Amino acid sequence: MIAGEKIEVDALVVGSGIAGLQAALDMADQGFSVAIVEKSPSIGGKMISLSKVFPTLDCASCITTPRMASVSHHPRIQAFTYSVVDGIKREGKTFTAAVTRKPRYVDEKECISCKRCEEVCPVCLPDEFEMGLGVKKTISIPFTNAIPQFPVMYPEHCIRCGACARVCPKDCIDFLQEPSPLEIKARAVILATGYETTPMTAKKQYGLGNLPNVLAPMAAERLLAPHGPYGRVLRPSDGKVPDSVAYVQCAGSRDKSIGVPYCSRVCCMYAIKQATLLTGSLPTADITIYYMDIRAFGKGYEQFYNNAKAMGISFVKAKVARVTEDAGHNPIVRIERQEGTSAPEEVKHDLVVLSQGLIPGCDVSSFHLGAELNDFGFVKLSDENISSAVTAGAGVFAAGVVKGPRDIPDSVVDAGSAAIEAANYIRKL
Amino acid sequence: MEENIKDEAAKDNYRQAPKTAVYVCHCGGNISDVVDVKKVAAEMARYPGVAVAREYAFMCSSNGQDLIIDDIKKLGVNRVVVAACSPSLHELTFRGVLQRAGINPYLYEHVNIREQVSWVHKADHEGATAKAVKLTQAGVEKVLRQDPLNAIRVAAEPRVAVIGGGAAGMKAALAAAGKGLEAVIIEKAPRLGGKLLELGKVYPSGEQASSVLKKFEDLVAAEKLITVHTGAEIDFVGGFVGNFKINFKKSDGGMAQIKAGAVIMATGFEHYKPHKGEFGFGEAANVVTLPDLITLLKNSPAGRLEYAGKEIKSLALIHCVGSRQIEGVNQPQADGKVNDYCSRVCCTSALYTANQVKEKYPAVQIYDIYRDIRTYGMRHEDYYEKASKDGVIFFRHAETDQPIVESARVAHTVKVKDVLTWNEELEIKADLLVLVTGMMPSDIKFLASQMKLAVGADRFLQEVHPKLRPVEAANSGIFIAGTAQAPMDLTETAAAAATAAAKAAILLAEPDIPLEPFVAVVDEAKCTGCGLCPAECSYEGALMMTEKNGKKLAQVNPALCKGCGACVAVCPVRAIDVAGWTLDQFDAMVDAIGKEG
Repeated sequence: MIAGEKIEVDALVVGSGIAGLQAALDMADQGFSVAIVEKSPSIGGKMISLSKVFPTLDCASCITTPRMASVSHHPRIQAFTYSVVDGIKREGKTFTAAVTRKPRYVDEKECISCKRCEEVCPVCLPDEFEMGLGVKKTISIPFTNAIPQFPVMYPEHCIRCGACARVCPKDCIDFLQEPSPLEIKARAVILATGYETTPMTAKKQYGLGNLPNVLAPMAAERLLAPHGPYGRVLRPSDGKVPDSVAYVQCAGSRDKSIGVPYCSRVCCMYAIKQATLLTGSLPTADITIYYMDIRAFGKGYEQFYNNAKAMGISFVKAKVARVTEDAGHNPIVRIERQEGTSAPEEVKHDLVVLSQGLIPGCDVSSFHLGAELNDFGFVKLSDENISSAVTAGAGVFAAGVVKGPRDIPDSVVDAGSAAIEAANYIRKL
Repeated sequence: MEENIKDEAAKDNYRQAPKTAVYVCHCGGNISDVVDVKKVAAEMARYPGVAVAREYAFMCSSNGQDLIIDDIKKLGVNRVVVAACSPSLHELTFRGVLQRAGINPYLYEHVNIREQVSWVHKADHEGATAKAVKLTQAGVEKVLRQDPLNAIRVAAEPRVAVIGGGAAGMKAALAAAGKGLEAVIIEKAPRLGGKLLELGKVYPSGEQASSVLKKFEDLVAAEKLITVHTGAEIDFVGGFVGNFKINFKKSDGGMAQIKAGAVIMATGFEHYKPHKGEFGFGEAANVVTLPDLITLLKNSPAGRLEYAGKEIKSLALIHCVGSRQIEGVNQPQADGKVNDYCSRVCCTSALYTANQVKEKYPAVQIYDIYRDIRTYGMRHEDYYEKASKDGVIFFRHAETDQPIVESARVAHTVKVKDVLTWNEELEIKADLLVLVTGMMPSDIKFLASQMKLAVGADRFLQEVHPKLRPVEAANSGIFIAGTAQAPMDLTETAAAAATAAAKAAILLAEPDIPLEPFVAVVDEAKCTGCGLCPAECSYEGALMMTEKNGKKLAQVNPALCKGCGACVAVCPVRAIDVAGWTLDQFDAMVDAIGKEG
């Protein structure tokens, strides 16, 4: 890593999820140079960790990896992973971004991605890519199809045994590596910082984090992924094949008590998709979705919902009050039906997935770009009837979930609009 | 393909002895959970003509691609077969890899062992593995007989034609012009605006549609690169990517032609028109649609909501009229199909309008009869909440228990089996019945047939893939903007239209456009000039008879030929082949598949 590296590009894209990747490609394919800054060690964002994606049920990797590869091979795109934007300054018509490249403790110029360090490392930690359902080594490549294929070491877990350094054929383990600054000058900025799922701290009664068989939807994605942690769908507490799986909709959306009154747009569809996939991996299991309204509003979504109903997935309009468990860690869902009777009932399931909503992935106000945010931290558009990408900050454009929850097809389309708006802005400079 | 294929590299490659590499992809498990990929690779390594065979978790990933590049550079591999997903997903990805490694990108064969093997033979692992081997062997035979090809390059008109001058059309034209492209809007109505001309306040901004339209019109008028033809009636669309021709009758009756490198379809939507008798529509008085209510709201005097001169004190909204329809329950359209899709905007639009009614006429009682409330947008949930707070009463019915309307002279009674009150059948009396109608695509049968556009089961224009190529029609050079593709609101329309313009700008970034070289090629030595083939050709100008040195010959225009192969089938002397798909290749593939063992 070169200390104090400086580059100049036409556009800076912050974030490399599907929206950032697509915005970068749509800029670069128009002839502009692009720098991407991504805080994770790999590009790909949330989408690369998903199993299959609605409504076409393509495997998420099949859609994301080629985009990741195109970005990494594009002659006009430079991607800086494991890097954070500390601040962006506007001087006249130029933005100057101060970026810190975090140390991987590996010499990227020398590393040949042979994985020998990973093989010999004796320390395992929960793998966040597998949502904690699997483990990874303290020095490891983030996931199979990560780009770039460099391992990252986590010094807070490293026991300094030196096994990795001894086995490395290129002598590229560097325990003393320091963060290095990078300065990016750009004429336009595209914000594509995506989302995190709603924290459930304000909704403790749903049991996420305390009850082993209550899962986050991202964990369920990993269970369903063909190359997931167990290679099949098993429940975490005891490895049992679940016979009964329930989804709790709006667990973290349309709920003022946790500060997320808006609809997160994707949860109905991802729950229906996961349920559909479960009918394939667990053909005899009962699958129930507890919901308020099913919002299958995108192209082909209603038909997808109808198929799920025809496959025997049961949709119960009910509000879930809390989730507890019995002695065998079987989650018990207390519901009040909103159709039929209304006396509260308690239903036992083997596995419960909370359909968490989406909140902003990053506080972009810290960049001081003049892009206004709404009450929930999403970027506001300057005139939503005229453009879906132009923000109040001149030269600052927004792509994807940074403006509010939306699904993958909507984010991909959205990214193209950010790219052409940015291109038009640059042309007029 | 981004760069021109280097002829030199191609020629060198051709002279070399073929050296084929085979890669079997696990597709993360999509394939390897069913197919024994190690066995397939081992079998392929033994197959004649194969220099190396490997298997890998994700061939399309950067690592997978690097495997191929390494083998090309280090082992001198000059032909590649990847057995993986459908070629529609990744054939282009891998051709790009060959190109980056410096060999002709068409010396590549993509074998589909996912859709055609692992996904359809889940229960028979052994059979699936054997089939994967056979198909991959056929792929090897094909690639061994593959000639290097060069993309056909055609000069492109640096101009975008936008069909439709509503919000989507104006936005697409503005975005394209912003990039420096000429844009021509062809609108059949006498003025620009489309549905913006009819709408009232638009959510979430609360701005009047007329004011949004004014902004768009001003922007269009200020953009020198945009030409607008209103009152234009298209009577012919022809040509191909880079060179489309659109003939239309101008508003003054004269004819005009536009030449364009790309076409953006922004033909918009129509409101669903209820059948006569559908919830009393067209039969009983005071049954209107949501657009009618919006007009009513605009025109009613303060203090008195009026319809046909009478005061309306109560109204009932019925959702999902013309949307989310169910076969056997709802009456189909003329084509025999019901509208089984959600129209996306109507829930929000209905509640937004209900709130406006309540604001202007607080005494009007509103009933809302729905199946699911789909106020999905950032501030849309607020409209739902406001309506509930302001006393709009909601009734929810099951999909098969449609509300029943009984109309008397003065008012309507709607019978709803309301699931929110334990499936009680409730009777709601209302002065006005408002059918919350969905969206249908504009009637573009003529354009769709002229341009050979794919239309989905929902009758909207069909994109190639919702995530990979979401605004592209299958026909190269044609893009889709806005509600011609699917129901969407104004902001979503702006996004789709701008993206369509972005794709057009990318296509037209270079003065010429590369086309696939899979076109018919005539072997002049064999051709007897019998003239059978031009009669079979469905693409005007693609195949014609000509004379060369006194000999009659078939001649192909590669820019117009689609490589369908109809001419190949009728040639009695095997004088025509489709490049990349020759009869010799097919023969060898069939032999490989049919071979015992």
